[in-house]
Amino acid sequence: MKLQPLFALALGLSATFATAADPKVAALTATIDKHLAADWAARGITPAAVAGDAEFCRRVYLDLIGRIPKAAEVRAFEADPAADKRAKLVEVLLTKPSHAAHFAGVARSRWLPETLTDQQTMFLGQQFEDWLRKQYGRNARMDEIVRTVLTTEVFVGQRGQFQVRQPNRPYNADQVAIQSFYQAAQGKPENLGGTVTRAFLGVKLECAQCHDHPFAPYTRDQFWQFAAFFGEFTPLPPSRPSFVGPTRPQADKNTLTIPDTERQVTARFMDGTAPKWTDAKTPREELAEWVTAPTNPYFARNLANRLWAQLFGVGVMDPVDEPGENNPPSHPELLDALARRYAECGFDQRVMIRAIVASKAYNLTSRISHPTQGDPRRFARMNVKSLTGHQIFDSFATATGVRENQPRNQAYYNPDPVSRFSFKSLFPDPPKPTETQTSILQALALMNGKLTADQTSLDKSEILAAVIDAPFLDTDARLETLFLTALSRKPTPDEREKLASYVERGGPSGDKQKALADVFWVLLNSPEFLFNH
Amino acid sequence: MARIDPSRRHFLRTGAVGLGVGVSGWFRQLALAADAAKAKPKKSCILLWMSGGPSTIDLWDLKPGHANGGPFKEIPTNAPGLKVGEHLPKLATMGDRLAVLRGMSTKEGDHGRATFLMRTGTLPLGGIQFPSLGGLLSKELGDPTNELPNFVSVAPQRFFNTEAFGPGFLGPNYAPLVVADNFFQQQGQTPDLDNLLKVRNLDRPADVSKEHADARLELLRQMHDDFLAARPSPVNTGHQAAYDRATRLMQSDAGKVFDLTREKASVRDKYGRSLFGQGCLLARRLVEKGVPFVEVNLGNWDTHGNNFDLVKGLCGTLDGAWSALMSDLKERGLLDSTLIVWMGEFGRTPTINPGRGRDHYPNAWSAVLAGGGIKGGQAVGKTSQDGTTVEDRPTTPTDLLATACLALGVDYKKSNLSNVGRPIPIVDKAADPVTEVLA
Repeated sequence: MKLQPLFALALGLSATFATAADPKVAALTATIDKHLAADWAARGITPAAVAGDAEFCRRVYLDLIGRIPKAAEVRAFEADPAADKRAKLVEVLLTKPSHAAHFAGVARSRWLPETLTDQQTMFLGQQFEDWLRKQYGRNARMDEIVRTVLTTEVFVGQRGQFQVRQPNRPYNADQVAIQSFYQAAQGKPENLGGTVTRAFLGVKLECAQCHDHPFAPYTRDQFWQFAAFFGEFTPLPPSRPSFVGPTRPQADKNTLTIPDTERQVTARFMDGTAPKWTDAKTPREELAEWVTAPTNPYFARNLANRLWAQLFGVGVMDPVDEPGENNPPSHPELLDALARRYAECGFDQRVMIRAIVASKAYNLTSRISHPTQGDPRRFARMNVKSLTGHQIFDSFATATGVRENQPRNQAYYNPDPVSRFSFKSLFPDPPKPTETQTSILQALALMNGKLTADQTSLDKSEILAAVIDAPFLDTDARLETLFLTALSRKPTPDEREKLASYVERGGPSGDKQKALADVFWVLLNSPEFLFNH
Repeated sequence: MARIDPSRRHFLRTGAVGLGVGVSGWFRQLALAADAAKAKPKKSCILLWMSGGPSTIDLWDLKPGHANGGPFKEIPTNAPGLKVGEHLPKLATMGDRLAVLRGMSTKEGDHGRATFLMRTGTLPLGGIQFPSLGGLLSKELGDPTNELPNFVSVAPQRFFNTEAFGPGFLGPNYAPLVVADNFFQQQGQTPDLDNLLKVRNLDRPADVSKEHADARLELLRQMHDDFLAARPSPVNTGHQAAYDRATRLMQSDAGKVFDLTREKASVRDKYGRSLFGQGCLLARRLVEKGVPFVEVNLGNWDTHGNNFDLVKGLCGTLDGAWSALMSDLKERGLLDSTLIVWMGEFGRTPTINPGRGRDHYPNAWSAVLAGGGIKGGQAVGKTSQDGTTVEDRPTTPTDLLATACLALGVDYKKSNLSNVGRPIPIVDKAADPVTEVLA
């Protein structure tokens, strides 16, 4: 097997980006590098060049804390002479509160997607996300988080409605927040079972709710047997969807009757096995133990794959929740290794993040240099990825200095167009971040919407006005600041020349300030701003 | 004519790349199709989507004399033999243009799944992003060079199933332009209907001159070209495409169609000053401008309690707006070329519950086809005396959608390439269209 010369060059000259401090991290990084390199060699793929500091900086800020870096942060990172500055930056970002906030937001979008747009359950999703944020903030292990969610106390009143308080017990905000998970699912075993399999185990079983799964070996019975772990929640007749809870605690907590049939099933795990039922453990406790066991073939694999997908735009197996013959992983051994290591490190998400972000693949540029870098599934070039609505708003806030004006509880009914909430609605989470298409309405909002209009106007803008007013900056410096602020990089010589001449002549009307505003508008509307690359 | 973007083509998975013919053949076929499309008279479809599951047993298939009938009476229409509920008096004067399908029957009583089923013709199936009817029909009927998008969605409430409202695997060129998105009227709030139904952000800010706006777009194009060349990717290509279409919409006169203040007050009153009423007026204006697919949403049909008062109110809104729409279209000579599809995700229980309500009931309900290509004045399909089962001519969602396609002159067996590489017909080939209602 002959290595391509460019590929060998890249391998040899690139710096290591892992910190030497944690051997577990370094070992996993080396494993990732090894598997991908073998795949590139086998397919004759020449990987892209290493990403420059500015490119890496922007990417890792967006991926880890959900916003672009400020101009000063980019300048500082570029100027840092330390050889291990990339790993050090990762450490700084992981401990920021915005890291926990960003990852909690992503998790909530995955686990409770219905609460993103349903006005009736939005507050439930928000409560749950707030609780998740606290967990990520203290680096709670993923198995602990899932176990807590699955085994939480759920309060149900006499008429079957969810309650946030039991008599003679103090109000516990955490319990209420975690209970939101159950309320968002309307207390229906099929919804809860479906969410657990999809979000935690990476298997979208919902198809099998009414008939055998068309593409995978899951039967209708298997679905309902799994849902039966939530058999304690039985919808009261007549069944009606309601987040106040159509449930009744029942004695046989591990059975349920399949709707529209007379058939009763007893809870079974997806692999067909069942726990030894005792009075000591409830069905949900049995479920929690099985799901989070290090030997569970789905849990660690799903978490690892989803994390990979979050950082690369596409999973090692993709779609991430449809394992089966039709959907083989692009790098089976790599996925096995990631899963194994996730379990071995005690489901510590930060360990996995460190290892992946230090890999050679994560540090490649997205700039194409060879036709073999075309396939996003081979990770020979960093993929261009669309951002979530929150990332877009937070990046606008960083780039323009705009602030939200509306109290959060008013956002639900009459959302201000200049708000995180509105941007989340305007830019819904895409199923495939590497293939997202921009809509006309999104383009119009970016071009003419209030946020852009205000922040590119001479009188209402924050950062633009400051850049224009600063007396100690000349045109070139102003342009450089605008580029660093909006695109997290300095302009190329070509851009400098072209745009400086545009600004110096004042654009079409001879007005230098308006010309600068034009440039800022262009930067904020460019795909380079809107996407992660 | 759409471009084949080489970067996108390069990155599609192998299965999806096979467009069947070589590049030159594809272009030629597209050119021929474009010519053919221009030659055919333009047809439009208006979908009146009744979100929540309308109580069709109180509108189209009443059971007077039975306990399940409830308090509403039947009234005759201007078509002999066709009767409808008493709260649709204006529509009753147009019974000769309505074909009521009383045999609708599905197994889906869940809002989310049923919404998906009725709007796409299929239940969700792992991994495949099925397009909604609007995406499918706007692709068949629409002129891609239209300034106005070919699919407009008015006041959708998508929370039951967001995926059922999009273009699915047909891609963003067939995504709807949405106005009054997910609007929920608050208690005591009078919605600003004039502005709600406008396209958001269609006008550039007042303090930006046209020269500067043009200069910005020119600079943006250069930035985009550089970025795309260095980092080819579907998201980049899609970005430029969206900006192109948005700019076209901004710069054309077409945007004025959304300005309802251009209509006489008396006309606006006739449709009713509700979001649905004004939405129907907007639909007429869009059809007049050649938009081939408009959907207008009327929600709040989920009447688990107090069914009769609520349905009466909803009928008031529906009756005025729909009849105004049909009579205006007729007056403009457009009714024969405009198909109207009226449906919700399911019907409601014949048995009245203790809360004087009706619950979800997919087993037997009604949908209505009207206008172009439809032989009105009849009801097809018959339910039992108690309204619980379909006794004659059970009609599936695919039967209904196939019938709609035929009324519009669309070949429903034609396939589109899905996102998993499988060709998927517009409507399942096993559909049994209700030819009795076709003109």
